[in-house]
Amino acid sequence: MRQTKYITSGGLAFSEEKDMEKLRRYSLKGWHVSDFKFMGYTLEKGESSDYIYSIDYRLLKEGEEEEYFDFFSSSGWSHVTSEGNIHLFRALPNTKPIYTDRETTVEKYKNSSDSMKKLAIPFVFITILLWLGAIISSGSLKTILLSVAAILSIFAIPTAMTVIATYNNQWKVEGRRGLVNLVKMILFLLLLVVVIILLFVYGTGNTVSILTSGMIGAIALPTAIWVVMSIYHKVGGRRG
Amino acid sequence: MKKTEQLTDSMFYIMAALTKPRHGYAIMNLIEETTNRAISVGPASMYTIIKKLLKQELIYLFDESDSRRKTYLLTEKGKEVLEEELIIRKLMIQLAETGLEEGEQ
Repeated sequence: MRQTKYITSGGLAFSEEKDMEKLRRYSLKGWHVSDFKFMGYTLEKGESSDYIYSIDYRLLKEGEEEEYFDFFSSSGWSHVTSEGNIHLFRALPNTKPIYTDRETTVEKYKNSSDSMKKLAIPFVFITILLWLGAIISSGSLKTILLSVAAILSIFAIPTAMTVIATYNNQWKVEGRRGLVNLVKMILFLLLLVVVIILLFVYGTGNTVSILTSGMIGAIALPTAIWVVMSIYHKVGGRRG
Repeated sequence: MKKTEQLTDSMFYIMAALTKPRHGYAIMNLIEETTNRAISVGPASMYTIIKKLLKQELIYLFDESDSRRKTYLLTEKGKEVLEEELIIRKLMIQLAETGLEEGEQ
């Protein structure tokens, strides 16, 4: 049986480049990526080799795959795996990059966010409306709206952050650094406003504990995902 | 003003290669060989541009009998756009050439 293991991804929208570097480092150690897995990758043990990795985002219709993958293989990029509209390729160092100009690289990040935006933007919008509704309403309606809004926020906040990250990726390539910095500043100000509101509503002690638990959560959640997926992987691997 | 949008460099190279029916791999090779590898078009850029040129009806699907190696060819509109583009690019080359010559004198 082939030896495999699971590693987590930093989230392609946030750290595509870092992920690709990480996959390269693992390949040097003889662990080669073979598949996408929930929030990460499956690696397979083999001979150590220096491979570089690239991601492309593209919705392929029926009858388009063969030509698409042929373009890559004839340029020295072999197809590793795909998941939906995300395609992972590997090549030897110094192979020409899969994107060679700025205009098409911008399209890459447009492709990456297009399918997501249609769902994400209304979803985030509804969550914001629910929060507003909860603030202006009272009594049991307030309680209901508040709990629904809180639950939706668990999904809406990461979704919103992912959408913002894909826009950032696109703007970076377009050379619109100003826009990237503006978004960063707005996010920082938003965080500041949230902290100030918390301070006023709950007092210093509670605010510190809320922020601390938030930070612990931000570290614990990825760790928990890694632990659960690794165990799942080991158990599943034994069965297979 | 021009009626069509200015072509990007990569679009221009690919259209220049499609005055005869060619598949993606042949286009990439032709561009690299012609320029002694100074210019190359990556597979993802190539695929993006082929789809774009098809949508803009500047090229059309010439032969799809081999699904791995479909061939494309310029449309009449594509030829016109390429010719217009060529005039502009020639003017810019002229500017550079005469500028350099004058500089030497």
